Amino acid sequence: MKRDPVILIVVALVISIMLVFGIQKARNSSGQQGAGKLQGQPAPDFSLASLDGKTLKLSDYRGKAVLLNFWATWCEPCKIEMPWFADLQKKYEAQGLQVLGVAMDDATPKEIAEFAQKLGVNYPILVGKEEVGTRYGGVQYLPSTFYISRDGKIIDRVFGLVSRSEIESNVQKALAQQGQVAEK
Amino acid sequence: MTWALAPAILATLYAFAQDAPISKPSVTLQPPEIATIYRGHSGTVQLQFRIASGFHINSNRPKQEYLKKTELKLDAPTDMVIERVTYPDGEDRSFPFAPDEKLNVYSGDFAIAVKVRPLKAVLPVKYAIHGRLNYQACDNAVCYPPKQLPVSFDVKIAKSAGEHHRRNPPQSPHG
Repeated sequence: MKRDPVILIVVALVISIMLVFGIQKARNSSGQQGAGKLQGQPAPDFSLASLDGKTLKLSDYRGKAVLLNFWATWCEPCKIEMPWFADLQKKYEAQGLQVLGVAMDDATPKEIAEFAQKLGVNYPILVGKEEVGTRYGGVQYLPSTFYISRDGKIIDRVFGLVSRSEIESNVQKALAQQGQVAEK
Repeated sequence: MTWALAPAILATLYAFAQDAPISKPSVTLQPPEIATIYRGHSGTVQLQFRIASGFHINSNRPKQEYLKKTELKLDAPTDMVIERVTYPDGEDRSFPFAPDEKLNVYSGDFAIAVKVRPLKAVLPVKYAIHGRLNYQACDNAVCYPPKQLPVSFDVKIAKSAGEHHRRNPPQSPHG
């Protein structure tokens, strides 16, 4: 029996679509992909202690574009981008950028502060809690960075180290979102 | 027929490629052989570990102070002494996230040697030694939180030839 090649191609395409959707579904069921579902949604608010003993809330920064970076002292790629964040904080501060670092670490606040100081960090570092990571889809990889618009919505999230230009482009996107006037 | 399946194969490969950052690092312990050790003497057990392809973990002596070292922690049974844990040298490698920096890491397969000494009084039976391997893995762009791999291996304790000799001492000419 001779098989029609068109039918074979259609069958192959159907199999392809099923496979791709199956894999996508599996990926979406993983915790980190929960973070993907947050895109376009209001960024979950949190209240965390900073290294200088203050308690900061994400909602305090409503009206600013926020780059929220989850990191740890044991994360080598995190070390690369933190000085970039410091530069971007300086460059875009007047336009309303606020970088916030959340240390998902078992190091002491003193060790975290020393580490951050060595990297020239000029933005608040908060001592992370797993519960906050969970609200952001479960921070299973570091670095994990969320870009939050002035009106408090997550416009993008990036896992892992990316280029400085990509980070800057995301910052510009977050700043471009119009929202309420900065309160802080 | 084969060429008709090409789109399916390509789509699957694409999907898996997209899936790559989602894969989790894994370190596994290869089934260890049961080592026979004479009581009162030291013996070495080689534990073979395997790191999943595409991942690396810090060696036992990472160059950077903040990095989490790979460390085997063992809970020795009573009358069993863990004399030494010997780690292999790591490999100095640079990664795309820090091309100018060398990290001392393990990747692929690596072995940790555990020197065990059962006390003389220990019963000559099989003992299980339990513990955990602490490690922290990364790939070329992402790091994963520190993990613990449960480790377990058996050692068979035997009487030494000398012990048999002592147990059956030559009779005293006065006995």
